Amino acid sequence: MSELAKMKFYCDDQRCIECNSCSVACAEAHELPTGVSRRKVITLNEGIFGKEFSTSVACMHCTDAPCEQVCPVDCFYIREDGIVLHDKEICIGCGYCLYACPFGAPQFPRDGAFGTKGAMDKCTMCAGGPEETNSSAERELYGQNRIAEGKVPMCAAMCSTKALLVGDEQEISTIYRKRVASRGKGVQSAPYGWSEEYSKQ
Amino acid sequence: MKKYLFLFIASLFLTSAAFAADSQIWDAMRIQNILEYGQDESLKLGPLFTMLQANYFAQAFLAVLVGVPAVFLLHYLVIGPKVFSHDGKKVYTFSIFNRIVHQIAAISFMVLVPTGFIMIFGANFGGGDFVRMMKDLHGLATISFAIVVIPMFLMWIKDMFLHLDDIKWLMIVGGYLSKTKRPVPAGKFNAGQKTWYWLATLGGMIMILTGASMYFLDFNIAMINSLTGLSQIDLLRVAAILHAVVGLAVVALFFVHIYMSVFVIKGAIHSIITGYKEEEEVKYLHSSWYKKLKKDGKL
Amino acid sequence: MANTWGYGAMTNSLGDIQNAKAIIIFGANPAVNHPVGFGHFLKAKERNNAQIIVVDPRMTKTAAKADYFAQIRPGTDIPFMYGMLHIIFKNGWEDKNFINDRVYGLEDIRKEASKWTPEKVADVTGVSEELLMQITRVYAKSTPGTLIWAMGLTQHSIGSSNTRLAPILQLSLGNMGKEGGGTNILRGHDNVQGATDMCCLSHTLPGYYGLSVGSWKYFAKSWGVDYEWLAGRFKNKKMMGAKGFTLARWYAGVLAGKPGEDKIHNAGTNLKALFVMGTGITSIAQQAKVKEALDELELVVLVDPFVNEAAILTDKQDDVFILPAATQFESSGSVSATNRSAQWRYKVIEPMYESKPDHEILFELAKRMDFYEEYTKGMLMKENKKSYKFPEDATDEIARIIKTIGLTGWTHKRLKNHTDNWHMFDEVSLRGHGPMKGEYYGLPWPCWTETHGGSPILYNIDRSVKEGGMGFRNRFGLEHDGQNLLAGKGSAPKAGSNKDGYAEITAKNIESVLGIKLSASEKKKIGKNWKVDTSNIIAEKCMEAGIAPYGNAKARAKVWTFPDPIPIHREPIHSPRQDLAKKYPSYKDKANHYRVDTQYVSLQSKKNWSKEFPINLITGRLVSMNGAGLENRASKYLAALDPEMFCDIHPGLAATHGIRDGAMMWVHSPEGTKIKVKAKYSYSVKEDMVFLPFHYAGHFQGEDLSHKYPEGTKPYAVGESANTVTNYGYDIITQIPETKGGLCRIEKV
Repeated sequence: MSELAKMKFYCDDQRCIECNSCSVACAEAHELPTGVSRRKVITLNEGIFGKEFSTSVACMHCTDAPCEQVCPVDCFYIREDGIVLHDKEICIGCGYCLYACPFGAPQFPRDGAFGTKGAMDKCTMCAGGPEETNSSAERELYGQNRIAEGKVPMCAAMCSTKALLVGDEQEISTIYRKRVASRGKGVQSAPYGWSEEYSKQ
Repeated sequence: MKKYLFLFIASLFLTSAAFAADSQIWDAMRIQNILEYGQDESLKLGPLFTMLQANYFAQAFLAVLVGVPAVFLLHYLVIGPKVFSHDGKKVYTFSIFNRIVHQIAAISFMVLVPTGFIMIFGANFGGGDFVRMMKDLHGLATISFAIVVIPMFLMWIKDMFLHLDDIKWLMIVGGYLSKTKRPVPAGKFNAGQKTWYWLATLGGMIMILTGASMYFLDFNIAMINSLTGLSQIDLLRVAAILHAVVGLAVVALFFVHIYMSVFVIKGAIHSIITGYKEEEEVKYLHSSWYKKLKKDGKL
Repeated sequence: MANTWGYGAMTNSLGDIQNAKAIIIFGANPAVNHPVGFGHFLKAKERNNAQIIVVDPRMTKTAAKADYFAQIRPGTDIPFMYGMLHIIFKNGWEDKNFINDRVYGLEDIRKEASKWTPEKVADVTGVSEELLMQITRVYAKSTPGTLIWAMGLTQHSIGSSNTRLAPILQLSLGNMGKEGGGTNILRGHDNVQGATDMCCLSHTLPGYYGLSVGSWKYFAKSWGVDYEWLAGRFKNKKMMGAKGFTLARWYAGVLAGKPGEDKIHNAGTNLKALFVMGTGITSIAQQAKVKEALDELELVVLVDPFVNEAAILTDKQDDVFILPAATQFESSGSVSATNRSAQWRYKVIEPMYESKPDHEILFELAKRMDFYEEYTKGMLMKENKKSYKFPEDATDEIARIIKTIGLTGWTHKRLKNHTDNWHMFDEVSLRGHGPMKGEYYGLPWPCWTETHGGSPILYNIDRSVKEGGMGFRNRFGLEHDGQNLLAGKGSAPKAGSNKDGYAEITAKNIESVLGIKLSASEKKKIGKNWKVDTSNIIAEKCMEAGIAPYGNAKARAKVWTFPDPIPIHREPIHSPRQDLAKKYPSYKDKANHYRVDTQYVSLQSKKNWSKEFPINLITGRLVSMNGAGLENRASKYLAALDPEMFCDIHPGLAATHGIRDGAMMWVHSPEGTKIKVKAKYSYSVKEDMVFLPFHYAGHFQGEDLSHKYPEGTKPYAVGESANTVTNYGYDIITQIPETKGGLCRIEKV
């Protein structure tokens, strides 16, 4: 990975078959409570031929992450490789990041009476959090830190059809363009949230 | 009153049950939400909220927090307070019910406003447990305020409609810019108080509703969605924006209210404690009401 | 399939699908059932712009990725395929050379196809003429095309006809034995191909040797046991050669004699005990009967890593034993993939708690039944050992004995070597490089000798036998009705000493076919024919001469030993179209069908089923589960995806019954059973059809049986089993239940 590498996700909806491998793998790997889905597969127009399609959504680790901009307690931080993380010890669960997020990524586990929201939880791209890398505190709060171990995030590793890709922005965009070109027919629109995720340059 | 309390608590339970239902934020509507985010044909509420929250809200609150007291300090130093005799006759103004309702609201505000500010400037407090506790306090104080806001709204409403006096009052800014004691045109409540009343009650209700929707986040009220034509997430964005904008106004007038009752009109605060206003105060500051009381022989 | 060209297995591989220009899928939903394998389909789209055609009663996740989708009425695949053949023959799109050299009996197919005009097909299948023509043109013109199927094609009373006509379609277009072609049957579970090859079946010995005396004797010799001793284990020699009960209808063996039950032929007794290893028997049809039979049994033994829900279903209180089996991660051995490739599975952890690997349970059982020595002797024979090492020696025993499908090359050493070096193989061609050069990944069978590299594409004559080439198998004699059944002139695998068709190799004909002379010692050692030649001289000599040991014959479109020599359409036993059921009636009732008298036309014509049960019922899988769903529903996160049993129902159909989305509904079956399930609105089913996933258990006809789970074993999700309402109906040859074309009635709860 070059110094300028910016890590991104990309889900190819032409390949996504709603098998849910990504979301189940994520939940298993990070031992999430069942109410929280850091990654979710969503299908539209289910059962209608020619219109049904599925895609997998999670935090897209935006370049100018809106969540980071609106957080009143500044709990977000963006790593050099572009991964957007947050500190659960600082987060107050106000929900502002959810309002700012184009992808509906922030999740709020409900704890306590009347559904008090706990600290926000979201996809970490399997890069843990601010605690000491691979410490039990990190594991407890954020799940596995696979990036530190040089591994691919769980969801992309488990994707059945390799619809879900993760890696350097440039690399991903090359693969995407190659796929579009080789399919060779139809007009392929840019994938969801492409412009948001890859800043507005 | 009890009925109110009961209804309110019941509705709380109902809402918390409702949000366990299908989520419009994380399920079916999610792609739609993503698609619409920032699109030309959409309301662009997401980017709007982001822009406002990132660049303006905190600054605006800071301006209120610093600016309003600064203006008052200037006023106090240049023009100074109005002093009325506390030895004269007193006019019975606020019933015991009025006072209890007001006091509950006042205490709620004493909690709501500082905790709100702490959240806005949460980063300066380092976030975490302290700010989270303030957030919970903010929510708790809302409950007491919510209980009294409607009684308060109803108990004073007949005195709060616009009157010709109010325009005159506004023209001379209630006489606060002059040091001389002159009768100021106003009924039982002057235009300033009326403004504060409407903002505290209607604005307060907006604050409660927007606050509650942000608190419960994933509630399921299809009626509101269909009524407003807004998706759940956009509804939340509207709520967040409204909460900040209305909150700004409420806070500003709250500061005015405190300054008036505590500093400018010396001893005015006693009226809401004892229920009695100084006759002299009524004579000058609520001259129309004073005349009316006199005419009716109630003095 | 085996009756068409020799072997009943996927002919190509998943990776090879990437070479296809068109992919037609009948009754399979790989996007759900084979998500990883489906990646190859999607890559074919990217590589070749391959056209995906899905023929299915349901708009599946696979259809969502398809270019063409024909929503047929359940059980009408044969008319659809004949409709395609009709158009192909009419336009002369068939591969005439291929048919001439390599196919026997296609004339009868032409005759039958000529009857199936597009109008008629449209009436029977519900697919418009235009769509049929469009699909046929695309498929016939984009060669090579691969044909995919799974349970949607086989689970019918005419399943065996379905699976014969699909190969015929491929033969007509010359799509067999080609890269990117073939008939690719997708196996539904891990190692199903391996289980089939080992013949965990009731009608044949391992390796499809059948139950003839000769076969028994071959195995007795190969296992090192006395044939008479083996025979003595059976009631008599006739029962030794008789097909057994099947998984689909074992319960008939228990219930026989009760009023209304089918007669059995089980040497005069009913079944008394049931031993289940690793199958959710709640996932087969007629669950109410299964329950009744379980209640009747004297002994039930359930061996599974999770609680087999048969134990929950039954009211039987005593003599039900649940033995904890080790999982795949706690045991090792070879497993066969859908494409006939084997892989070595290494043990990851030691068996947890008191669970034991399957073989240990069986060995213990054998010890207690006093035949442990005979049972394990085969593992010692190759090297005359004193003790065996499991599973390595078992794998070598298999390699030593099973010649029919060419497992000779599958020694444990080679299989481990392949698995260890899997990164050295190409995902599309399976060819190895570097040290693995000359071999295909997992040595797809037939792997004739210990140096043969495997055969990734069956019946491919463009390669030499050594490189995995072969013609069709000579399995059905040399001639029929005076016509030669061997392959045409010049149509033989590359580089062979014999360029034409030839018979399967025996000790007698080896010299003449291969054009060689055997030495005296070879003549002494050689086995009678290639299937029983443990000396392996036949295979070795064949490799040298480039000859396929099993011969080089024509595929046959006509199976003269079957009730229908050529596949013809017959309506499901429970057909929604009474008029067509009269026109295309089911088979005559069949006596002693795997020991059970089985009803066909008598049941079909008993009454107008569709009047009372007007809605088509189909079942299938969910992506998050498999089989009876025991292990999946015990996983928190998988269960969370589909926490409840449901029924896919078209909103239009639901509205006519007043059923709301998410409300409970009853599904009634012609068997008199019913289930209570949650309605789930879906446009994937038509308005005359409902779909049920078959992975749930724990409820029975509206009753919650959760309290019966032993403490701590209740899965996260329980629900009604779809098979409580699947209908009577079994294939005429294989006895597979007709779960993909039944009827039901629905009702609001």
